[in-house]
Amino acid sequence: MSAAAEARYVFTYLLTPVFRGALNRAARRERGDGFRAGVFGGISLGVAGVIFGVVFWLTWHLLDYEELGQYVLRLGLSWLFLTFLSFVLFSAIVTALSTFFLSEDLRLLLAAPIPAHSLFYSRYLKTAGQASWMVIVFMIPVLFGVGVAKCAGLLYYIVGFLTLVPFVLIPVAVGATTTLLLVNIFPARRARDVLMLMGLLFAGTLVLLLRFVRPERLLSLESLPDITDFFTVIQSPITPLLPSFWAGETLFAALHGRVDWLHAGALWSTALAFSVLARWTFGRLYFSGWSKAQEARKARFTRLEWLEGLLARAPIPLAWRSLVTKDVKVFLRDTTQWSQLLLLVALSAVYLYNFRVLDLDRLPYMSDLLKNLYAFVNLGLAAFVLSAVAVRFVFPAVSAEGPAFWIVRTSPVRMSAFLWSKFWTGLAPVLVLAEVLTILSNEFLGVAPFLKVVDAVAIFFMTFALVALAASMGAQYPRFRAENLTQVAGSYGGIAYMVAAVAFIVIEIALIGWPTMTYLWFDYHDVRIPTWRRIVMAAMFGAALLGCVGTFWVSMRRGVRALERLEGA
Amino acid sequence: MIEVQNLVKRYGKFLAVDDVGLSVPAGKIHGFLGPNGAGKTTSIRMIAGLLKPTSGRVSIAGHDLAREPEAAKSALGFIPDRPFLYEKLTASEFLRFHGGLYGMNGNGLEERSREMLEIFELTRWGGELIEAFSHGMKQRLVMCAAFLHRPKAVLVDEPMVGLDPRGAQLIKAIFRRMSENGVAILMSTHTLEVAQEMCDHISIILGGKIIAGGTMDELRTQAGGQNDQLTEVFFKLTGGSGFREIEDAI
Repeated sequence: MSAAAEARYVFTYLLTPVFRGALNRAARRERGDGFRAGVFGGISLGVAGVIFGVVFWLTWHLLDYEELGQYVLRLGLSWLFLTFLSFVLFSAIVTALSTFFLSEDLRLLLAAPIPAHSLFYSRYLKTAGQASWMVIVFMIPVLFGVGVAKCAGLLYYIVGFLTLVPFVLIPVAVGATTTLLLVNIFPARRARDVLMLMGLLFAGTLVLLLRFVRPERLLSLESLPDITDFFTVIQSPITPLLPSFWAGETLFAALHGRVDWLHAGALWSTALAFSVLARWTFGRLYFSGWSKAQEARKARFTRLEWLEGLLARAPIPLAWRSLVTKDVKVFLRDTTQWSQLLLLVALSAVYLYNFRVLDLDRLPYMSDLLKNLYAFVNLGLAAFVLSAVAVRFVFPAVSAEGPAFWIVRTSPVRMSAFLWSKFWTGLAPVLVLAEVLTILSNEFLGVAPFLKVVDAVAIFFMTFALVALAASMGAQYPRFRAENLTQVAGSYGGIAYMVAAVAFIVIEIALIGWPTMTYLWFDYHDVRIPTWRRIVMAAMFGAALLGCVGTFWVSMRRGVRALERLEGA
Repeated sequence: MIEVQNLVKRYGKFLAVDDVGLSVPAGKIHGFLGPNGAGKTTSIRMIAGLLKPTSGRVSIAGHDLAREPEAAKSALGFIPDRPFLYEKLTASEFLRFHGGLYGMNGNGLEERSREMLEIFELTRWGGELIEAFSHGMKQRLVMCAAFLHRPKAVLVDEPMVGLDPRGAQLIKAIFRRMSENGVAILMSTHTLEVAQEMCDHISIILGGKIIAGGTMDELRTQAGGQNDQLTEVFFKLTGGSGFREIEDAI
């Protein structure tokens, strides 16, 4: 057998396009790539540094509590691994759908004389990489934080690496096997929708549950004895049977210079056994699942006729109406899109609940000042939440046209009308969300009435600016070929938007905060505000308003210009 | 109806389209031929308003595309080579959306949509999501949209790709009927038999430049063979079929 013929039997050969593509991309650097790498690298290092710092600090302080500290650290590791186990498992199921059934290159590979085991292992490895990279990137600073705080030796780091590999492979093998079974029951594309929905419901419920357990109680002195109760609630009898427990125990032993052969052995043998099981299932079920995935079925969908009727009565130009109708229908029919709204609702509920349970009256002398300060924190947080919503739903609006953008570009619709329709479609829900979050949370906090009005008005104008910024930057950095819109939100343009949005929020809060606090101080002391102060206050409010209007107007103009200059889409 | 003058497109140092000029009067079908990479699609995309020319002028129904883009585009129907559409809309919804972009509204639009779906034999699929359509059905739906607003000129990039013989026959008949009704059609194609059968005038582009143009007889004269079919004329003008090399290689 020639070397070339043998090459196809090695599964790593099938991963060549992935590595070669990455190398080619790195070799053919385009203008701005260095800057982008700098921004991404800087943000990533910053986040890793913060995670390392927090974990180091926590572990360092736990050392003071001796046995209790050890116990909490041990449980904490096990609990962290449990969280990541479920994350990797869900991620692997969804990723395996793409890598095993929906990838464009599968037709080419399946038509080629490739042995089944090569195809399986290459896809298995690809799934493992895609499903777990985020967890691994997060775990590295966590494990280093614990290791450095406990002055662990080299053994700990070696064991850490050797634990992560089987820990990731187990849920990936289970995920791939589950996907192989699921696709034989549902068509692949439907299965993806069902899974996305289930996963989001799961994530939403988890967020709500964790929040309603009120972990902040652990920080109050009077509830210290409850810590063990808290962890007992989280623990369950089946925990010791889970790989997360084995990984936690293995690492905990390594922290103390020992090797826990039992749990390390359990991890590796389970990883290998599950990999063999996944390989066996692949051999049995893959081809029939693949064939099913190719069959087009009549899809069920909502007709949304009421929507057209409703929009027909709206006093907007015909082209805008057509664009808005199309956008709303496409959005509501794409399960992967709207299902993320469920998560958003859960997060909003948690956001409001946080303010509901915030007990500032425990500090009677400072409660009014704290409440009013919190009102600004609230304004900043609400603006940040709406930026996060905008980067997910408004920023990708232009890219959402995808390869079908030629339809709008060859039509007699101005790019300004197109971008404005995207703006208004995005503004309406985001504005409602921003106002609800701000008004309700200020109500829960019980801030001064003047501040309630200032916050509500400020968030109104800030929403216009932030949504315009998102629509505009989405037009300046479109990704029409992205596989899904989450990728668009996480692209360079999306990150740049978040950086710009945070800078805008900080400036706005500074401009609004100073005059508002001045007013409240004079009002509290029942003193008349001097004229010069009034002028400065008015100037700062004016500057804040100008900042919003300016950002809004300049953004939209730049967005329209970017669309007019666009080529090749 | 479609006037293209001195059209140039440069990508850095590479000259993709070099001084292309052509004219398609009302009621005529103009074939635009050339080997792969000759500059056909780049030219077509510039005429459709999808690419900005480095220099040159395009006018549709008397409207300059650069100065009056909305008026020019209103008079044009565009059929791209790959029918990318909004997969989550039904065929009828897509046509309604498309009509809205071209200023069509009310009952006239509904009636016209139905008429188009019937002409292109898609009536029973009108209420289905586009994601369930085959390539050929999507191609026919794009054609429905292109003719929906009664354009004065139609720009077609590879009309026969992905169509079955019946679909191809249908499209040819529809193009002929539209041209008889006064629509100017500029058609880029690799299917030389279709070009020979349908086009009143043919331009051949090579290396970004139009190297020959005229009626079938005029092209034969330019190629120096009086009884040649378009295939032979095309190979003579563009530098051989490469069949000998293929035979040698095989």
